[in-house]
Amino acid sequence: MRRYNSFRSISTGTLKWLFLGFFFLYTLLPFLWLILSSFKTNYEFTTAPFSFPETWQFENYVKAIRISGLPRLFVNSLIVSVGSTALNLFVSSLGAFVFARERFRFQNLLLNIIIAGVLIPIIGLMVPYFKIITTLRLYDTKLGLIVTYAAINLPISVFLLYGFMKRIPRELEEAAVIDGCSFRQRYSRVIIPLSRMGLVTAGIFVFLYSWNDFIYALLLTSSVKARTLQLGIRFFVSQFFTDYTAMFAAIVITILPSIIIYIIFHDKIIHGLTSGSVKE
Amino acid sequence: MDHYKSRKWIVVFLLPLVIMFFLFFILPLGFVFIVSLTKWGGFGKMEFVFLDNYRYLFQNGTFRIAIRNNFIWAFSLGFVQITLATVVAMILSRKPLMWKFLRTIYFLPNVISQVAIAMMWIAIYNAEYGALNRLLELAGLSRFATNWLGTIETALPAVILQQVLYIGYFMIIILAGRMTVPDSLYEAADLDGASVLQQELYITIPMLKDILITSMTLAMAFGLRHFESTFLMTAGGPANSTQVMGIMLYNNLHSLTYGRANAIGSILIILGFFVIVLIRRVFGSSSFTTEIRQ
Repeated sequence: MRRYNSFRSISTGTLKWLFLGFFFLYTLLPFLWLILSSFKTNYEFTTAPFSFPETWQFENYVKAIRISGLPRLFVNSLIVSVGSTALNLFVSSLGAFVFARERFRFQNLLLNIIIAGVLIPIIGLMVPYFKIITTLRLYDTKLGLIVTYAAINLPISVFLLYGFMKRIPRELEEAAVIDGCSFRQRYSRVIIPLSRMGLVTAGIFVFLYSWNDFIYALLLTSSVKARTLQLGIRFFVSQFFTDYTAMFAAIVITILPSIIIYIIFHDKIIHGLTSGSVKE
Repeated sequence: MDHYKSRKWIVVFLLPLVIMFFLFFILPLGFVFIVSLTKWGGFGKMEFVFLDNYRYLFQNGTFRIAIRNNFIWAFSLGFVQITLATVVAMILSRKPLMWKFLRTIYFLPNVISQVAIAMMWIAIYNAEYGALNRLLELAGLSRFATNWLGTIETALPAVILQQVLYIGYFMIIILAGRMTVPDSLYEAADLDGASVLQQELYITIPMLKDILITSMTLAMAFGLRHFESTFLMTAGGPANSTQVMGIMLYNNLHSLTYGRANAIGSILIILGFFVIVLIRRVFGSSSFTTEIRQ
């Protein structure tokens, strides 16, 4: 409708595409360079840094997996991320359900305190987290990371799920109560199934956080027993030494799961991110 | 009877959340503030030293560099990144060709770990084989080639710039806000002969004030708590030129100077709070319900 005016001058249009093009290339070219390099020999990488690989060196990937012990790190990361997502969603959905569908004293105060947790710079809490996890004898265990990641993400999950559950019409729940639904069944049979989308959104956030976190993996683990992919990447430099292209292959492997999740769920991720930022 | 029963269930349902929240938010906050007033190595007796740790830090040259760098981070993200993100959001809001696709691409780096991205940039900035120097070479500008992360003058700008230009996160938030502004406003302005630029300046910015302030606050908070890419790319060096509070906190934890580590932690928390309040005062925002953490 109003667009007949937007191309008033050619320079605005050019400038616009310069902007869009710059950020497009800035976002993609480095990854492309990394991926292309990961298929080259080290000789080719140093002599022809910007060309396509002459022959695609898939053995870089075989080497990467062998040298870095990636499968083990991968499994650890998966267990930790799935575990923390499950724990977080369980705890936060129970709480969000009560906050959204019940009335009790100090309700708003408690809810606001929990949601305000998103404002706390978690990095400032390194020492107490280290102390808590060692005291609970969870240092260097996957469970320690699971509990920590689940807890760190409680405010954001409660915030997202509360918003979601608040929007479910009362009538649905009342009908269920008349049909004889108990308190627990209202949660498990009515609200949870209706909040599936909210659970997926919150779940993706927790999963990606746990999958990508570095600080607490660094702080709370010491051996390969609980080491996650992200922490493993840090050891690539010493493991691969001067075999750069194999190291790049290892890095590409570590970012693949995030990219796959993003390709599948990008609508939900973007929606989840914006659901909190637009006032209702 | 029934009422009492549901009371009981409310408590049962809340209990796990409250316990975990207490254990990982309330208790740690108290711990940080209390231990910051002591001299403590993690075991044995705590020696109460009141504000000595803070006094030590503020007299310490390295910590002052770290604070300065954190503020450079905060301003780079809060002003430069938010400005760029706003401009791109404004352009995309007019739905140019492939705008949804571009939006998806711009956000992509936010789902990839900072570690992987940092490793990628270490390779790009590398003195011998790095893409940046090779690119300069190709352009005949090899006199500008340098060891980007190993030189005092270039290390901080290099680490900050690679992050500032990843605008996707805030662009998405701002764009979502922009989409809620009624089209009729722009149509009316169009009829009155306002240019696109004028429309964006005089309609979009005032309408999105709250979202822009929230984004700016968040971006600055990210700058203050910055840790990962610096830790991986330079570990604070060369010669502390990229030092930040988070890394010093980590180093103090490792040298078992818990009092000092927690003093840094509480400075971080207090500064974060201060930035939120300050920005809201300066720009006069009222909404406080729109924060989201990455």
